[in-house]
Amino acid sequence: MSLDTATPAAGTPARQPSPSAVTKADIAKAGATRRRKSAQRKLIIGTVCTLLVIIPIILAQVLPLPDANFQDLGARRLPPLTDGHLFGTDQLGRDLLSRVLHGGQVSLTIGLLAVLVSGAIGVILGAAAGYYGGWVDTIVSRLLEAQMSLPLLMMLLLVVALFGPSIPVITFVIAIAQWPEVARLTRSMVLVEREKPYVSAARILGLHKIQILLRHIIPNVIKQATLVVLLLLAQAVLLESALSFLGAGPQRPFATWGRIISDGQDYITTSWWMVTLPGLVIVLMVVGVNLLGDGLRDRPRRKKKGA
Amino acid sequence: MTNYILKRIGQGLLTVFLTVSTVFILIRMAPGDPAVSYAGPLATTEQLDAVREQFGLNKPVLEQYWIFIQQLFTGNLGQSYSFQAPAMQVVFERMPYTLTLATSAILLTAVVAIPLGVWMSRRPDTGREFGVNVLTIAGQSMPDFWTGIMLLTGFAVLIPIFPASGFATWGGLVLPTITIAILQIALISRMVRREMTNNFAAPYLTVARSRGVRSSLLTWRYAMGNSAIPVFTALGTRFAAMLNGVVVVEVVFAWPGVGSLIVRALETRDYPLIQATVLITALLAVAVQLLIDLAYPLLDPRVRLGKAATA
Repeated sequence: MSLDTATPAAGTPARQPSPSAVTKADIAKAGATRRRKSAQRKLIIGTVCTLLVIIPIILAQVLPLPDANFQDLGARRLPPLTDGHLFGTDQLGRDLLSRVLHGGQVSLTIGLLAVLVSGAIGVILGAAAGYYGGWVDTIVSRLLEAQMSLPLLMMLLLVVALFGPSIPVITFVIAIAQWPEVARLTRSMVLVEREKPYVSAARILGLHKIQILLRHIIPNVIKQATLVVLLLLAQAVLLESALSFLGAGPQRPFATWGRIISDGQDYITTSWWMVTLPGLVIVLMVVGVNLLGDGLRDRPRRKKKGA
Repeated sequence: MTNYILKRIGQGLLTVFLTVSTVFILIRMAPGDPAVSYAGPLATTEQLDAVREQFGLNKPVLEQYWIFIQQLFTGNLGQSYSFQAPAMQVVFERMPYTLTLATSAILLTAVVAIPLGVWMSRRPDTGREFGVNVLTIAGQSMPDFWTGIMLLTGFAVLIPIFPASGFATWGGLVLPTITIAILQIALISRMVRREMTNNFAAPYLTVARSRGVRSSLLTWRYAMGNSAIPVFTALGTRFAAMLNGVVVVEVVFAWPGVGSLIVRALETRDYPLIQATVLITALLAVAVQLLIDLAYPLLDPRVRLGKAATA
């Protein structure tokens, strides 16, 4: 805002000293500019990393890859880049790249579903707690607190161990682990929104409380909430891989990322790629999603300034 | 003050009670029979019945719950099925290992993350800071089991500097500690940066700077003083979470702590052991949370515990 006015006006004759002491170089060095630039850089790197992983995963069925579960005992533990196996093969001669991509489909599906469920629960409960206050708020807040003091991974393991590692159970478990984050954020934003004049106006116009909440308040906070959800996707993928690693992931034939790594663990000294490469794929994708979320959050929101 | 502490202890105990009750219900709701995993797959029906009789598993669930509550108050949760020893004792034997690991990890985190965060906050969005920032994002994006295996292979197998597993020597502590700390350093340093950047932008700091306060004093006394509570809370909460067992890292490094214990207890459906582990770790976590809150007045003299401001 003030920075824009500080640039020399277009009409000023050349060689005249600039009316302001602030030069373009100063603006380029200013904190706001640097912040915008680094947010942009994060967005770009994040997009590249994410797409680099996600596009091959989506195209896994189309790409000319051997079947993920096709065993060729004559071609066991081939190092990467041999015989058309870009990532090499595992202890049963299965193509590692194909396994990573097909496993990624399962891991990503679980992550996306979990995030959708936790986002929905979190927004609904958080908004209700923030808007209605009173006993609704008390119950939701106590639930949030209780879950914070619970041993999280232990509880997840417990539920999965007890109810069986099926995809719905794992999705549900991850969603339950993640909803507090969304709920807390939504609640605090709704607390701020409900005091704004437009809400009073809507109330005076005779709109029902639920209408005000759904039509007016939630659209104003949903954008911020979706940003958190993006960061939660990264966590969900990590959580799922940790569960799989501990043997509490989806069972065979689903080769999720965590399982591929835990299977390869026994061969780490002789076949480094079986653990290293799937791990790098996870890191690349999670870094990408995290960078995207970070960049979107730091990006200056100019249009919203007047609100 | 005393009232506040008593109230908090009461709330904490209630949380612990609800937690262990939830676990009790979950265990009973779930399919799977501990008698089968105890007596083995070849046991006859009579043997299974005898085992159920021995552990009181044939009683109605409500009666089992009543017995469980009585056990809670006597501090004896029964015999562990798989260890053939009192469950509480088994957990207490494992606890020091988890405590050691958690303490060393949180110390390393604090020593690295706070200066790193301050460093980042003093030159935000410069080229070097951007690099470090991306590194911290990478740090929080690595699955800890993968980091663990990589470190294990690198520094215990290929270059055998440290022992690969267990806790026979103090060297065994190094790799698990680093594995945990990488994630924690990433999270905490980013949080320190955020807090410090906010404080550097605050008017009181501009005033102090215009009065000619030294830069180091501005950073460490003024800005850090006001970031202390959130940073300390984050460190404390992380520590409390670690007491619940750093499950994954303990499994990777075969660390004889509570985390690997719970995995085994779940596999064998060792009800008393699961309940004892949950009870003790939940108690510890609640206690640590309380200690964090009690430390607030030391960090910020404006805080009065139990008054309206603590909400």
